[in-house]
Amino acid sequence: MSTYAPLWCKSCFSFLEGASHPEELVEACAAQGIETMALTDRDGVYGVVEAHVKARETGVRLVLGSEVTIDDGSTLVLLATSRKGYANLCELITAGRRRSEKGVSRVGWREVYEHAEDLMALWGGDRGLLAGEADPFFVAHGLGEAFGDRLYAMAARHRRAEEPRREARLRQRAEKYRIPVAAAHEVLYHKPARRELQDVLTAIRHRVKLVDAGRLLKPNHEHALKPPRAFERLFEDDPAAVARTLEVASRCSFSLDGLRYRYPSERLPDGKTSADWLRELTSEGARGRYGGSVPEDVARQLEKELDLIVELDYCGYFLTMWEIVRFCRERGILCQGRGSAANSAVCYCLGITAVDPVRLGLLFERFLSRERAEPPDIDLDIEHDRREEVIQHVYAKYGRTHAAMVANLIRYRPRSAVRDVGKALGLAETALDRLSKLLPHYGDVAPEAFAEAGLDPEHPVHRDVLRLSSEVLDFPRHLSIHPGGFLLGHDPVSTLVPIENATMPDRTVIQWDKDMIEELGLFKVDLLGLGALNQLHKAFDLLERHHGKNLSMAAIPPDDIATFDMICRADTVGVFQIESRAQMAMLPRLKPRTYYDLVIEVSIVRPGPITGGMVHPYLKRRAGEEKVVYPHPTLEPVLAKTLGVPLFQEQVIRLAMVAADYTPGEADQLRRDMAAWRKTGRIERHHERLVRRMTAKGIEPEFAERVFEQIRGFGEYGFPESHAASFALIAYATAWMRRHYPDVFACSLLNAQPMGFYSPATIVEDAKRHGIEIQPVDVTVSDWDCTLEPGSRPRFAIRMGLRYVKGLGESEWKRIEAARGERPFASVADFVGRTRLDEGTVARLAEAGALSRFEPGRRGALWAAKGAARATRAAMDLDREEATPSFEGLGPVETIGWDYRTTGHSPRGHPLAPLREKLRARRLPDARTVSRLPHGRLVHYAGLVICRQRPGTASGVVFMTLEDETGFVNVVVWSRVYEKHKVLVKTTSFLGVTGKLEVQDGVTHLVAESFWTPKDLLEPAKVGSRDFH
Amino acid sequence: MDRTACIDLPAFPLQLLLLRHPDWREHPAAVVEADRPQGIVLWANERARALRVLPGMRYAAGLSLAPGLRAGVVPEDEIRRAEAALAERFRRFTPNVEPSAGEPGVFWLDARGLERLFPSLEDWARRLREEAAGAGFDASVVVGFKRFGAYALARAHRGVHVLKNAAEEREATRAVPLDRLALPPATRDALARLGIVTVGGFTDLPAGGIATRFGPEVHRLHRVASGDLEVPLQPERPDVPATRRLVLDHPEEDAGRLIAAIEGLLGPLLDEVGEKGKALAELTLGFRFERLGDHVESLKPASPTLDARLLMELVRLRLQAVRKLPDRVVEVLLAAGETEAAQRKQRLFAEAGGRDLAAANQALARARARLGDDAVVRARSRDAHLPEASFAWERLDALGDAAPRPVSEPRLVRRIHARPQPLPPRERHEPDGWMLRGLEQGPVVRVLGPYVVSGGWWERPAHRDYHFAETKDGEILWLFYDRGTRRWFLQGRVE
Repeated sequence: MSTYAPLWCKSCFSFLEGASHPEELVEACAAQGIETMALTDRDGVYGVVEAHVKARETGVRLVLGSEVTIDDGSTLVLLATSRKGYANLCELITAGRRRSEKGVSRVGWREVYEHAEDLMALWGGDRGLLAGEADPFFVAHGLGEAFGDRLYAMAARHRRAEEPRREARLRQRAEKYRIPVAAAHEVLYHKPARRELQDVLTAIRHRVKLVDAGRLLKPNHEHALKPPRAFERLFEDDPAAVARTLEVASRCSFSLDGLRYRYPSERLPDGKTSADWLRELTSEGARGRYGGSVPEDVARQLEKELDLIVELDYCGYFLTMWEIVRFCRERGILCQGRGSAANSAVCYCLGITAVDPVRLGLLFERFLSRERAEPPDIDLDIEHDRREEVIQHVYAKYGRTHAAMVANLIRYRPRSAVRDVGKALGLAETALDRLSKLLPHYGDVAPEAFAEAGLDPEHPVHRDVLRLSSEVLDFPRHLSIHPGGFLLGHDPVSTLVPIENATMPDRTVIQWDKDMIEELGLFKVDLLGLGALNQLHKAFDLLERHHGKNLSMAAIPPDDIATFDMICRADTVGVFQIESRAQMAMLPRLKPRTYYDLVIEVSIVRPGPITGGMVHPYLKRRAGEEKVVYPHPTLEPVLAKTLGVPLFQEQVIRLAMVAADYTPGEADQLRRDMAAWRKTGRIERHHERLVRRMTAKGIEPEFAERVFEQIRGFGEYGFPESHAASFALIAYATAWMRRHYPDVFACSLLNAQPMGFYSPATIVEDAKRHGIEIQPVDVTVSDWDCTLEPGSRPRFAIRMGLRYVKGLGESEWKRIEAARGERPFASVADFVGRTRLDEGTVARLAEAGALSRFEPGRRGALWAAKGAARATRAAMDLDREEATPSFEGLGPVETIGWDYRTTGHSPRGHPLAPLREKLRARRLPDARTVSRLPHGRLVHYAGLVICRQRPGTASGVVFMTLEDETGFVNVVVWSRVYEKHKVLVKTTSFLGVTGKLEVQDGVTHLVAESFWTPKDLLEPAKVGSRDFH
Repeated sequence: MDRTACIDLPAFPLQLLLLRHPDWREHPAAVVEADRPQGIVLWANERARALRVLPGMRYAAGLSLAPGLRAGVVPEDEIRRAEAALAERFRRFTPNVEPSAGEPGVFWLDARGLERLFPSLEDWARRLREEAAGAGFDASVVVGFKRFGAYALARAHRGVHVLKNAAEEREATRAVPLDRLALPPATRDALARLGIVTVGGFTDLPAGGIATRFGPEVHRLHRVASGDLEVPLQPERPDVPATRRLVLDHPEEDAGRLIAAIEGLLGPLLDEVGEKGKALAELTLGFRFERLGDHVESLKPASPTLDARLLMELVRLRLQAVRKLPDRVVEVLLAAGETEAAQRKQRLFAEAGGRDLAAANQALARARARLGDDAVVRARSRDAHLPEASFAWERLDALGDAAPRPVSEPRLVRRIHARPQPLPPRERHEPDGWMLRGLEQGPVVRVLGPYVVSGGWWERPAHRDYHFAETKDGEILWLFYDRGTRRWFLQGRVE
């Protein structure tokens, strides 16, 4: 039996102070025979879940507590003896955090006394008042009264010369106030070797270099977890104090296993239970969905789901989601459930999701199962611009005590690690920047990068950087906020986990992230913003205003042939999920003709199927070029939907269960490990097991390896079928809008920016190519958003909104709107004088051509605008000035260039249109011509780069899209060509490329052999490229 | 005829950076405004420019284009020092040199009448360029007629260019692109948007319109460029400190006579300093010995002064310390370290304190004069854990008012050795106990510790186990065991 319990341990969740993971501390305790340890991170319980999981695994008993900072700057270590004590601790920390700025906590002594029930207090340490210069008379009495026999004086020793004097004072006062003394030492790391990292963390926390850190650093390495013998030796003069650590630990019986969580129950109509209410709403919803008579199979499914939901007591959760969706509907906010919720018929009938899982054959068990006993996870997509309304509604409905957002822990990754560690060690920041950019975003700190960055890897300082930045990987650096995850509780959330302020105003965040929430089996509500829903909402509004059609998502005609024809042509710029270069290249091959084809289309261009080598077999089988066979007869039910090729995450998991005999537990672990792919090695541990078991069942090893590759790839953004099904609905809706109302589609897409794959310039050019007239910004008629107005063609013309003038904000627009509302503007001077816009804004409007009604020449307008702005400011009379000089007019290239510079697009023409004659004279074809050339033809082409992609799945291959006034050319750049022409490829907007055409299934790619800059041509406007790496 | 020359050392800070790191010439390199990823690139070399690293970019952005981009900061004072050194070199060619106040690496030179001293102005200009090259810099030199014309053409052309007449200069200047001049980037861009890209186009714009739209600075430039405003050359006049020199006809070996000779020089020296409205803060005494060569001594009075008597007292203290001069002195030089004369504060209502700080400082100055500049020092506490690193000695130039902090409880005094003293290794068998200080002090009877101080692993690792050891006759010693050297050391003792 261990002779002591470490009661004051701080892990790396005492941000930038503790130098070991909670798991490492627990493991070290287990290895040294220490039976109980207390985790007491600074003002928080961030690390308790990780420690709890490891403690459960190793058998170490974990006491939960925290080192609480008092508003006088002193500290007190508090330990929870019971659930009540733990709740008190969380509430106390919440009080301290909520009143302080982010990252800081301060509580008052009075608050400590008020929350003392079932908490043990250890008073001492470096910053404990009990050993301070002044006698804490009043505090000692206050603590004594509040804690009674649960108050201990903490004599902490770290072999420092000044400690005996402090300890003598502590003991003398402990005697005076009759407080028993417990021995302690502050544990900051699990082994002495971590001391160096602790020094570095201290330097980072105080933003100083190590050489300047002085006494900010601990004076020695005595903060490692001590083996029992060493601790006994340290306190050999007072064995009673050592024994008292066990006494304290034995009085703390609370464990996270004892956390009983209840989901908030909705306010229910009189006399109804939540189960009754859920059944009633579901059956009402089902009648609405199926037009009065619910099909038998659906009714059966609903009954099955409801029984399980009631049995597991999850009714409250479903009712909450239903309530949020109802709120959105009432406010006219578009929303749609995604993720595994789409597997549930109850969710479909409650209106949470829009996919009928019964018709689509989706598995409910993927969403909820008795065996897994894990709360369901419903993610709700909400139109982006209005998500905050929904978030604030949740806060308002449940209160900030019962609802808080889930944290996102920002952890050290290779780049941030070398930057911070290197800075602490005094390396030049520019050199560290050079080094960090050679490192991957995830994974290890690669030693080769040092030499590549021109830093001698053998230099002692560089060796230290390498070693310590590798050690600090995965340490949390600070707390951020999850994009939309909420934790809701029947009891105040602050009794479960402390709540603190987020950087964003009006947001509060708990101290646990989504993995910790999942680990403890708590419910989370995800409210995510989606630009496509935003766009659709805007489109429905425009449709009603200009076409008199009142449409909604559900009312869009399904299976529209013209829409699928357009999709098959890959004419999908701006269509949700199927607009990217890779999707466009897939569409003519897959030729989607039904909604379910779209579900597959959305899923197939993903790292999982690509790295698993599943794409080509599927396409071949679909085209009838390859027979549909199954690797094993048992797999037919799993893979039949996708012609024997696994494409969805659910299929991979089912496959592991059927073909590799994974138990439900193992399968669930696989799912979790796929989700946590960034944690090194989690997926790898399934490799051998999976391949071995599949091979034993008679499945070809090659197929087994491919399945594993796919699992690995699925970890990186693979799609479950249910998720793809939800997204495919939105994809179809946006495609339908694009096909039938291209003016509405383009206008709404421009007003929903930023979103999607393409820049506004590309959207404008695409609209023009589809016969939509684009009118330029004009201060006399433009609104903030783009608007539709009658044009010279059958469709409405799009008048570009002033939101596209760079540097012009909404407040400036309000001034223009107000002044224009009074009376029309008469001149540049009148416009400037009445709006009182600043010189920069007025100059940009002149350059954008938005003042052309008053001054047709843009340079003249610019001269006038600058003069008017200065004259307005200085109350000068411009009329006395000499005559306006004459300026050279803008040529076509310059005109378009000015448009791009000031608004990011040009309604007047594509930057390459004025150069076409010259390009043609050089035998450089346009994109339309290139698309008609035969396979294998050597082509020289020049266009504007609008997209560069270097996907991780493509082994260094770069994909580029070049654009001209007639369309796109997709370019494939092999890594050796890329390396040779890297600078040109990365930096040049107007780029020439020579290569061979590859034409397959109607899809044309130009495989680059070399790149060049088109010479002796006026430089066209610089077009912003969307680059993805 | 007025002749004005302009020397331009393009991207002067970058040239300085590459002088500091010659190996960087083989790599893309840039001067950044600050040593951080978000530091703005101010200048970039050809290799960096070839990779599209351009001034105005953030270093991090430049790095994405040129993965091996080297970068450094060139501080203002380094630029100023280098400019001063170059100005000094250029003064060998003309007395009137004006370094540009706003543009590092630009100098105007007065070239009037120099064709009589040099074979030609071309030759003069070429030598200037070579002079710059000798210091490691690339330069272009233009000899023109107007200050602005010479400047604009030096910025626009490389090499040496001598203009024949003012008309040629005017014509050539009109064609100079505006982006070669150090116009504020916003002004340059605004003019470019109006289609104004040359000096000629700029000067053709109406002056009033320029004033309204671009403000007085650009208006002034417009006037200068148009020839409406002449700005004369404002050569830098280096502030030469007052000196007095005496070459002794008969080499002197007697200190007393030497002091008398110094006294003779000091009066006129102080007069000269006084005429400048300054006071003497430091007196440098230079001696040239017959065999031993040159030797310099410096003396600092307690505060800047023009009081010859006070200074002579310090001279005497310093020289009388020398019983006999080591060699015969053949030349004496006195140089004044000058400073602005302080206004004496009138302490109308101040009560006379019990301590006279001025007298104390005077006494310290005398001690320094007598014993050397390092004779008066004080301990300054430093932020470190090792005892000998937790304070440092620093020169004490002047005493301030005492401000003792109250001490709540009396502390023991620990006396510390300047360097820890090694102790003999402990015997394996110590039948009479641990004899730390020999037999007369008796054995150690009580030891407290260990108290551990360890750290400094990134530089010089240290690991010491400190103890307080009490000997039989009551002495308390402060000692440590050094784990690195495995030896005992005496750090000090406790009183």
